[in-house]
Amino acid sequence: MTTQEMNKNTPGESMKSKTRRNTKQLALWTGLWLVSLALVAFGPKFLWDFHTVVTVCTVITNLVMGYKMIMANKQHLQDLDELQQRIQLEAMALSLGISMVFGAIFGLIEGIRLVTFSPNPSAILFVMGITYFVGVLFSTRKYA
Amino acid sequence: MKNRFKVLRAERDWTQADLADALDVSRQTIIAIEKGKYDPSLSLAFKAAKLFSMTVEDIFQAEE
Repeated sequence: MTTQEMNKNTPGESMKSKTRRNTKQLALWTGLWLVSLALVAFGPKFLWDFHTVVTVCTVITNLVMGYKMIMANKQHLQDLDELQQRIQLEAMALSLGISMVFGAIFGLIEGIRLVTFSPNPSAILFVMGITYFVGVLFSTRKYA
Repeated sequence: MKNRFKVLRAERDWTQADLADALDVSRQTIIAIEKGKYDPSLSLAFKAAKLFSMTVEDIFQAEE
């Protein structure tokens, strides 16, 4: 039996082409979201001198891009196969858990006078990203 | 759980990529199943059984 004949058992789009398309979509919307976030962060000061209407429009655009990115990520996860979904789930569990534990204590360290600086909440995004990446690496190795 | 994925694939002279395409999963999943590091879902097990024209019990055996 050839691969083509075997593929007849699975009607519809193949997993490879779905993954390719979903990855492109995810990259596109993540890129657009990042650009719109940069515009929200730097535009008011450097491009339009804090004009409220323009700033509000940029914020709305950023939220729309964020929504599209979330949906693209959801679709990407949905179309992965069962092992890949498990790898993502394990990585997300690690990322969420560590972010919650460290995020909670990070928010308290100034109040309990362990540090003198004010903790920046956006630092938690880096923790999430790094732990997610490490989680994917660990889980991928586990099943390799 | 033990399985005969590797033997059955070799008997048919299929590559891991061929089997992955036929079952609509990634090659990574085939590797993990063959090495016994991942037990597939019931639906994937039935799909494999159909592809190999065997029963699920002929492919997968519970370890004592």
